[in-house]
Amino acid sequence: MTSSTNPEENNSRFELKTVLETTRMLLESRSKDFILQNLLLIIMGKLLVPKAGILLFDNKTGLYTLSKIKGSFNFEQNDTVDLAFSKTNKSKSHVTYDMCQDNVPNLISDMDGSIFFNLRTVNRHIGYLFISKKAVDKPIQQSELEFIESLSIISSAAIANSEMFDELKATNQNLDHRIHELNTLFDLSKEFNLLVDREKISRIFKFALLGQLFVRSFFLLYKNTDSVEVLASSNLSNPILDSTAVSIFELTENVVEVNTNLADSFPLLKQNDIAALIEISIQNKKIAVIGVGKRANNKPFTDSDFNFLRSLSNLAIISIQKTYLLEERIEKERIEEELSIAKAIQDGLLPNPIPAVDGLDLSAITLSSSQVGGDYFDIAQTPDSNYVFAIADVTGKGYPAALLMANLQSMLHVLLPVDITLATATERINNLIFKNTPSDKFITFFWGKFLKDKKIFRYVNAGHNPPLHLPKNSTQFQEMDKGGLLLGALQTMTPYHETDIPLQKDDIVVLYTDGVNEAQNPDGDEEFGEDRLKECILKYRDRSAQYIQDQIIRKVNEFTRGHQFDDLTLLIFKVS
Amino acid sequence: MKNFSINHRTRSGYSVIDLHGELDAHTASQLEDALKDLINQKKCNIIVNCAELEYIASAGLGVFMAYIEDVRADGGDIKLTNMSDKVYNVFDLLGFPALYDILKDESDAIDNFNS
Repeated sequence: MTSSTNPEENNSRFELKTVLETTRMLLESRSKDFILQNLLLIIMGKLLVPKAGILLFDNKTGLYTLSKIKGSFNFEQNDTVDLAFSKTNKSKSHVTYDMCQDNVPNLISDMDGSIFFNLRTVNRHIGYLFISKKAVDKPIQQSELEFIESLSIISSAAIANSEMFDELKATNQNLDHRIHELNTLFDLSKEFNLLVDREKISRIFKFALLGQLFVRSFFLLYKNTDSVEVLASSNLSNPILDSTAVSIFELTENVVEVNTNLADSFPLLKQNDIAALIEISIQNKKIAVIGVGKRANNKPFTDSDFNFLRSLSNLAIISIQKTYLLEERIEKERIEEELSIAKAIQDGLLPNPIPAVDGLDLSAITLSSSQVGGDYFDIAQTPDSNYVFAIADVTGKGYPAALLMANLQSMLHVLLPVDITLATATERINNLIFKNTPSDKFITFFWGKFLKDKKIFRYVNAGHNPPLHLPKNSTQFQEMDKGGLLLGALQTMTPYHETDIPLQKDDIVVLYTDGVNEAQNPDGDEEFGEDRLKECILKYRDRSAQYIQDQIIRKVNEFTRGHQFDDLTLLIFKVS
Repeated sequence: MKNFSINHRTRSGYSVIDLHGELDAHTASQLEDALKDLINQKKCNIIVNCAELEYIASAGLGVFMAYIEDVRADGGDIKLTNMSDKVYNVFDLLGFPALYDILKDESDAIDNFNS
């Protein structure tokens, strides 16, 4: 008797072959859908079952999904049902509907004779394979049950495999996504480092954001010291109002998903389909808010997307802050550069070195409190070979004062060679200064000419601190206070007066500006004053002009403890 | 300067942009200029041939995002062709096939425009 003549053996050989082929096919497949489809078709075809379905168990809900059905069911594919099998039944390899007492929904119109085959792997319940009774009026044989159970075991393994494969694929894609995000950040940080152009930074930021998150609209609000500005945006229907920017900046904390309520209160959010607002912080301080529109593929944003947005925005904001700092630094350097040029120019306007004047021991100095100042002194020769000594103080400090001082200097030097008296020259200077300057700018001015042959000092004082004359053998100072009104306040009405004072050997003349007598102590409640100045001159009257000058400055510095508030100028000469 | 360049040409009445090299944050503005240029000339049926494109970063993709609406508003489209697998993966990763026609070659794109 050959095997082919035995129908039972033949049948089991056929089944074995099916199981083997199916095994190979299922295990090679990576598609769950393909596995389920084949499992159902093989069983329906071989056992002549008109209705069959796969119910996959959902771990989270505890329910079953009708993942694939064939034949007429009371449910649609992908509907979920509850299969309340008892614990004992759950542990069985198959449960016959007729035998079980459990509350099982009517999957099909006639549940009689139907069977649930447990799909499971060693460690996990996957679901059930459900089959109705046969189309022919024949019960399912024991060998057939075993055949289906074999297929169920193989299919379970295949399903678990394919699920793992899907999971792996998803994980891989997630990983790819993260890597791509990192690449984007890396790419941008490299690029931003090279950029100082804010407009370009915000454009690259925009493109990276649109490309990486697959959105069309967004805006980035940045909190400045006193306002909220829009650093970058894309595809907005209208420009963002200042008030809206402030409100949205204020209301955003962490992540705000835009709901209908919020969208209704801000047309900006509604019109541009803004889906979420994200707070951007640097060192725990909210510095920016970014609003992003819906994704072009309508996928929801994940926490990881928001984190990416934060990193990207941080990067852009730091780069933009950097450009502001850089500009400030450049501007500061430019101003300092200009200031030092101005100082050099101004220094050039003062006599340097102090000329040697026949018959006089002479010393002069000016100390500016800011880099350029409004004090001025001059020592210049006149056509008659005598010397003129001038001192002046322009109201205010810094650039305006320095400009006016330069103006005075040039007038003085233009007028020196002209054969006119000091009084007339002063009048002309006054009229010009009055014409050239605003009414709140004026100059206190003193100048005098030392007529060396006659030993006479002829001076005009236009509102300046009276210079001190200490005659030899006297302890009384003479104040040189005659002349006229300070320069630039009014058009000359009454002429300036010249006054002559005779000088003799060892007489001392001290010209100074208010930086000396009005120097303040650190508490700001006392001035250096004329008495201290006079005291100092008397004490060192026997020393050189330079020495007296140094002592006055030392005393002033002691008094102020080194805090100079105003420009300070001294011009001292002693008749020799 | 990285090696990236753009070439313009016309084929069957459609504007074709050939991308060469690496399109990243640094070179994205070149693509932007090219697209803006075409849009300003109302040449909105654009084929972007990526055969020589070696790498694309998010900023490069962002340029396509930024201009697709303008192009479509004018009745045109941007169709991408001849992508290497490596470049396609990036487009795919970020979901671009949902919004853009990515086709095998220029003839496909032209057929697609014509249909």
